[in-house]
Amino acid sequence: MPNLFKFFSNNNAYLLLLLYCGIAGLLIKFEENYSLKSLLSRGTEVRATLSQGLSEISLYINLKQENEKLTLQNSALLADVIVKGNALRDTASIDRAASFMNNAPVHLIPARVVERRFDTSENVMIIDVGDKQGIEKDMAVLTPDGLVGRVIQVSRNYAKVMPLIHSEFSVSVVSDSSNTHGILRWNGEQEQIAQMHYVPLSSSMYKREKISTADFSTFALRGIPVGKVIEVIPEKQFYRINIELGVDFSSLTHVMVAEKTVDSEKVDLMREATDTGINSSQTDQTNP
Amino acid sequence: MFKHTILDTFLLIVLCIIQQYAVSRLVIFGVFPDIVTIYIAFTAIRYGQKQGTTYGFMAGIATGILSGSIGTETLTKTIEGFVAGYFYIPEDSHASSRQKKQMYYKGVLLASVIGRVLYTLMINVLSLPTTLHMTYSIGVATLLTMIVAVFAYQMFFKKILVNN
Repeated sequence: MPNLFKFFSNNNAYLLLLLYCGIAGLLIKFEENYSLKSLLSRGTEVRATLSQGLSEISLYINLKQENEKLTLQNSALLADVIVKGNALRDTASIDRAASFMNNAPVHLIPARVVERRFDTSENVMIIDVGDKQGIEKDMAVLTPDGLVGRVIQVSRNYAKVMPLIHSEFSVSVVSDSSNTHGILRWNGEQEQIAQMHYVPLSSSMYKREKISTADFSTFALRGIPVGKVIEVIPEKQFYRINIELGVDFSSLTHVMVAEKTVDSEKVDLMREATDTGINSSQTDQTNP
Repeated sequence: MFKHTILDTFLLIVLCIIQQYAVSRLVIFGVFPDIVTIYIAFTAIRYGQKQGTTYGFMAGIATGILSGSIGTETLTKTIEGFVAGYFYIPEDSHASSRQKKQMYYKGVLLASVIGRVLYTLMINVLSLPTTLHMTYSIGVATLLTMIVAVFAYQMFFKKILVNN
């Protein structure tokens, strides 16, 4: 017996190790035991709670960086959307213009709107074709949807266009069903609505009649669509007719310039007639 | 002595939590250093083999509850404490500071190697690991633990061990 005590006192470190290892072995063996499992699952819960807390703190600390990162990502995505959207719109616009040009009876020069100002009554826009491409003053500018305006100034590579929605613009137009003639002008109010003037009360105009350029025009060839009648209001001597324009000026990106077809002799004759005081109400008011 | 034991036990539990939530996230080459092993080795060197083994056992229980593998952790940490106890420096030791430093490093190194070998063997024995993977895991983990041990010695333990 004393030897046994001596053994224990001499080797107590080994015995302690043996005891602890035995307990560890039992823990390994009974790790799947229900009570031990529930203890471990509680430990896991504590760990998860602490981890969540730490993650939230770290998230809060990194919030500024995260926001900056998201802002950058948003900017990149927005830029991507703008570029791709423009490309899609341009492609659709070019396709429509190409199809229209192939079927058009006159030679049309394609152009892109590079500058525009539609915020005042005196709207203007600049297209990327000019003298070099054969553009001349008073050429008609159009899209497959209808008349856009007329060229008023030409440089080497650019041309300035007075759009239909300009207070000084006017063009001779005719309705397709009743064949009624008039002068189309824009009153500077609604962008999509122009007015047809000098239509006598004796004429029979209908709503939804389509309006196109008339043969009397000194710059536009006949038959370019302009819009459709949406309102016919009788006044003292003439009707006041509101026309919904075919061209959406807010989304205008590509246009075509029609080569001049109007005889200059006719224009000169009209000018002389205007100078001598003959009533020129059925001619374009912007003619020189 | 009792006050020391309470303080050391509390510190051990705090270190186990830090190991689980902070140090275990410092993964380098797939492994991470073990500050609990360093502290177990330190207590074993300072107080002796029995105390080292007991601290190792307690640390194993705490780490096991937090990590989910209680048996394996308890066994490895207990053995770590035991082997580090071979480098025990008694209070009346006449060893020089250089010798004490060497003892400390040897204790941590041996505890870390044996602890990692046991842990890797127990974890990987059923999944038939490759020898290369085991050697890599043991070697790099021990290296990382030793690096932290150097810092721990220089910052905390040097003063205590040299003054003993």
